Amino acid sequence: MHRITLILALISSSPAFANDLVPASTPVNVARSDLQVSPDRDWNKLDARPGRNSETWTLDGELLNDVSFYGGTENNRTLFREVDRRNRPLPRFTSTMLPTDIPTLLENSYRIARDVSIFTLDSQEPIRFAGNPGIRFTYSFIGRDNLHRSGEAHAAIIDGRLYMATFEAPSIHYFANGIAAFRHIAASAHIARPARRR
Amino acid sequence: MNVARRRALTAFLALGSALTFLPDSAAAVANRDREKPEFVVPPYVGAYQPQGTDEQGQWLQADEAERTIRDLPVVIQDEELNAYVRSVLCRAVGNDRCGSARIYILRLPVFNATMSANGTMHVYSGLLLRVRNEGELASILAHEFAHFELRHSLTRFRARRSASDALAWASVLVGFSQNSGLRYGTSFQDLLYAVHGSLAAYNRNQEREADLLSFAYTTQSQFRPSASADVWRAVMNESDASAVARGQRTNRYGGVPFLASHPSDLERADTLSLMANRIPSAGDYDGREQYRTAMARWIPEFLSDQIKLNDFGGTEFIIARLASDGWTADLHYARAELYRTRGNPRDLISAIGFYREALALNPQMHAAKRGLGLSLIRSGSVAEGRIALQAFLEAQPDALDAAMLRTLIQP
Repeated sequence: MHRITLILALISSSPAFANDLVPASTPVNVARSDLQVSPDRDWNKLDARPGRNSETWTLDGELLNDVSFYGGTENNRTLFREVDRRNRPLPRFTSTMLPTDIPTLLENSYRIARDVSIFTLDSQEPIRFAGNPGIRFTYSFIGRDNLHRSGEAHAAIIDGRLYMATFEAPSIHYFANGIAAFRHIAASAHIARPARRR
Repeated sequence: MNVARRRALTAFLALGSALTFLPDSAAAVANRDREKPEFVVPPYVGAYQPQGTDEQGQWLQADEAERTIRDLPVVIQDEELNAYVRSVLCRAVGNDRCGSARIYILRLPVFNATMSANGTMHVYSGLLLRVRNEGELASILAHEFAHFELRHSLTRFRARRSASDALAWASVLVGFSQNSGLRYGTSFQDLLYAVHGSLAAYNRNQEREADLLSFAYTTQSQFRPSASADVWRAVMNESDASAVARGQRTNRYGGVPFLASHPSDLERADTLSLMANRIPSAGDYDGREQYRTAMARWIPEFLSDQIKLNDFGGTEFIIARLASDGWTADLHYARAELYRTRGNPRDLISAIGFYREALALNPQMHAAKRGLGLSLIRSGSVAEGRIALQAFLEAQPDALDAAMLRTLIQP
């Protein structure tokens, strides 16, 4: 009996169920996609993914600083996993969207999947992301824990797929503390292979 | 000995399942209702203070919850809106009663309102969006107030405690019997189901009692009696519209699920309709214009929250219901935004038409120019779209997304 308990404890603590270290200055493909970034410091990659083509990194825990990558979300796909497909289906990305539609897609997905009732877009401006014309937008929102969070997203639609990196952290201290590291990641983003043709 | 014990236990479990909640069973409520004259508002007893440890404890918890929610950002602090919603409650239940309730309006796009034991009423913005007049709003606010006046939180708490007491004792007896070689697992399961079922039935009866008392309040205040039923019909129609647009089967309203906490919407609509027909000289106050005026600033904002929920059919129903008094520029704009957000090619064509209708009614609605331009560009009418965006940027050069829009109008 004790042996079984010991084996179960060992299995559950093995690296197969753990989060990974993302070492600094090493190019790494993210979100099971051809989007590649090089962080300037060590990050933790969470084992739990928000959706099929996404991935989350953090420094102190995802509630305190959360970098999420969306690696080539295809036409008619949601940003993250459905929470209640029948009663609260998530909006879907469509490849004909304009860059100005991306903030709305993120906002509406948060409102449905994360019960965010207060979400404000604070700024939008054109940038280049992953070598393509894209959008940078900042936002703030209050989720289930009633904590004010700020966010910044860099995104581009490349060959009909959505590539995006977001950084979210509590507005007090954590956002200002982590934004430079995120911007370094976002600036390093590039498509490692030619984007697949649809 | 064993036989005698078995009989005693069987009798206990059967009795438990049948009688645990007898004092508040459906039959008792029905008898109580029969004894009361219809639609009478009980005399007001003045500022009520909690009695006994159960109620005092419950109020203590509710006070703490109220202190927390009061300062949350989700609470709409606008004094004018708060004063207006309070005035509707006061008109419905009377000035003496409404003083004991504190209203918090929450920016949550859900059809709901709740009442705590200590008189804290939460009114959701989704409710304010879905009612069309003061009569409909009053029926919901009065229903919540009725829960407070009838002290339903306390009696519900006590019913739950009695249920868990009964189950605890039953599990002790069943355990004891198993030690003696008897098997009462099945009987215990039956008791468990019976207890949970009767708790749910108890909740449903409380809702019916609150409907009855709220109807008495609003009819005494000369509100049009059929307004209450209108709300529940609209809830069902919205749910159907939502399901149809998603290609799903619509809800069936006939039966009541075993563990449902509320009566079905259909039962409530029908019961309230029947009650409305029994009032010989009813009032006819609706407060439709007053509601429209008071909510003019808020409805577009609440519609914007609703549009973001990806519920095309339900939102289209809400907009159409609001437009039953006539289409306004705000409603055309909301409809256009709904269609543009869904974004199918045919939706974009419809959206273009709705934006134009909004602009025809209000040429100064600059946001409609933005939506029109973006819809035209996505539909392939790029040159025309750029003209619309240019017009928007001339009117609002410092718009939040002005820099992004300028990239779209560059050839």
